[in-house]
Amino acid sequence: MKTETPQLVISRVFDAPRELVYRAFTDPDHLVAWWGPIGNSLPRDEIEFDVRPGGFQRWTEVNAAEPDLRVHVHVDLTDVADGELLEGVMHVSGRLPEGIEPFETRLRIEFHDEADGRTRLEIRQWLPEHLAHPSEEGWRQAFTKLDATLMNVQAAAADHREVEAWPS
Amino acid sequence: MAGSDQLSAVFSALADPTRRAILAELAERDASVTELTAPLSISMPAVSRHLKVLERAALISRSRSGKWRASHLEAAPLREAADWIERYRRFWDSSLTRLDAHLAAVQAAGPATDRMVDDPRELE
Repeated sequence: MKTETPQLVISRVFDAPRELVYRAFTDPDHLVAWWGPIGNSLPRDEIEFDVRPGGFQRWTEVNAAEPDLRVHVHVDLTDVADGELLEGVMHVSGRLPEGIEPFETRLRIEFHDEADGRTRLEIRQWLPEHLAHPSEEGWRQAFTKLDATLMNVQAAAADHREVEAWPS
Repeated sequence: MAGSDQLSAVFSALADPTRRAILAELAERDASVTELTAPLSISMPAVSRHLKVLERAALISRSRSGKWRASHLEAAPLREAADWIERYRRFWDSSLTRLDAHLAAVQAAGPATDRMVDDPRELE
């Protein structure tokens, strides 16, 4: 399993018991009520859930303005702990909005008890591989700039040592 | 070439919300430290330090023209990654706001109904 640091971390507390928040993610009838993006609908007969380690969650998102835009979301669940954890790889394909290529993203959702019967949701998400590791040429350009930048920083450091003392 | 240490530097630069706010601002147009400080609730020296981190990660470059030193968003491959992260952040933010409303509606309807509604949207 990858241990890289996730690029996206979200934490949010809900005024609802943990079991109910978990069900909002694992019961199709709940998911359709809140899952975005806003304006999209999730046809009930295209939702298939088999929530267990090695199982899956699959649905289709239909764009309200352009019903031809149908996005297929398949989550292959790698790790599931009832009421506590959902982890897997989300594959997004189908007819996506212009400019967006099919991609896959690793996702981990933790459900934690908070005081007064509330629940803290911890969401971690990893960048698709092609974005986290852009093409060699893309990086070459970026790091050519980085090299130039570092040379400038070193030159500036001679004059402004206090800047270098700041922990980055 | 791209080493994992350099990748880490880029993503640790992107991990800070103030620096993401600065990048979002620079995605619109080049800006000076003064212009970048205005919408943020931190001091100008603090903004300068954030710019330094971004500059080292090659996410921005800074021009020197007289007193007015403009910051410019750089590195297209990283910008694509930053855009992706911002898009998902907005996605989660709006979805979780609706989830909050949904959970409130389900609980208001009572424990007997929270499993039985055909379309929970009717409760909102």
